[in-house]
Amino acid sequence: MIKARGNIGFHLLLKSRFWVIFLFGALLFGIRWTKGAGYLDLYSILLKPILPGTAQREWIKEGENIERNIRLKLLEEDNNRLRRALALKEFNSNQRISAAVISRSSRNWWQLLEINKGAKDGVVKGQTVIGPGGLIGLVDSTTPLTSRVRLLTDPGHQVGAWIYRTKRHGILTGMGTNRPKLIFLNKNNLVKIGDAVTTSPASTLLPPNLTIGIVQYVNEKALPSPYAIVQLTASPEAIDWVQILRNNG
Amino acid sequence: MAKNNKQLSIFFIIICLPAFIIISPDWLKINGISPCWPVILLLPFSLKNPPWRAASAAIITGIFVDSFTISDASYIPSLFLLSLVWSQYGLHNKKIELFLNIGLMAIFGTAFVGLSIWVQKIIMYSVLRNNWFHSWSMYVVISEVIITGLVAPFFSSWLLLTYKKN
Repeated sequence: MIKARGNIGFHLLLKSRFWVIFLFGALLFGIRWTKGAGYLDLYSILLKPILPGTAQREWIKEGENIERNIRLKLLEEDNNRLRRALALKEFNSNQRISAAVISRSSRNWWQLLEINKGAKDGVVKGQTVIGPGGLIGLVDSTTPLTSRVRLLTDPGHQVGAWIYRTKRHGILTGMGTNRPKLIFLNKNNLVKIGDAVTTSPASTLLPPNLTIGIVQYVNEKALPSPYAIVQLTASPEAIDWVQILRNNG
Repeated sequence: MAKNNKQLSIFFIIICLPAFIIISPDWLKINGISPCWPVILLLPFSLKNPPWRAASAAIITGIFVDSFTISDASYIPSLFLLSLVWSQYGLHNKKIELFLNIGLMAIFGTAFVGLSIWVQKIIMYSVLRNNWFHSWSMYVVISEVIITGLVAPFFSSWLLLTYKKN
């Protein structure tokens, strides 16, 4: 009798809505516990065919670039304002002259470029010349229509540079090869391979914070002064267009 | 005849030399180094003319070439000496238009010009004195000697024959 009653109870339990309610509750708990992960995964699978394609991704990236450029411009303006306040050289991107390379001698006894803008366009001796990648040289002489650019790699050509990470100054000296020598002014420079070399932010001759290259080799024990070998980020052998920075003339 | 020679040399120095240096076509280069054009142009003129004329041509050529470089080291001293040597050689030797003879003289001439610029640079820039045998200098001298040695037998011997015909 008791056994039969038990069977009946179990049968009723199976037939009743208890399980439905239990499963629904468990599902709700699961959804709450996983914070709707299943739904989101399902949604993403369903959405995959209509997700933004390559073209749309490029639009988004373009938008990001525009935003970054605006931010960069604002920061440069801010930087210029502060530099003016400190009476340091300004880096004004609006005052650039674009010029094409008309003749190149980047490996010979004299390492130079001839460009198609000269005194008539406002180019003056000593102005900085940059290419894609950073600083490539300085204007050595001008004619009314052309200018001669002495490359950083030209033997004996010296410009001031500094290591951004360690804030140490040095003299970047052309040695004829693609890798100029950065001669430090003092010992214990703590320079490492891979450090970025730029123009000094306090320079009065060159525009500040222009990328020059990356340290490839360091010799701290060299005499009379330690030096580093720098790989230039801009390659004069491959550059067809350069920009002359007007504001350091 | 002498007038024709003079006109020819003036044409080559004033028109061709700057054009060769400025255009410097890539197909006429070895490792990015173009031939030593002043040597190629001066060699036949010096061989066919007396020393004083060769020396004046060397100075004019040197001034011209120097105006296309960054003005530190100069071509003039080496070209001046070479023109005197070549002129003396030309006065005492009859069969100078031989193909290989001209090439060999151009090779030695280019090596001398290269060494002269190398020494001048070392004297001028104390930084370069730390290591005298720079890989760069060796590279430029060797490449320039090879390409000049290849071009000179054609160009200089043709120029020398033209001078002789005139």
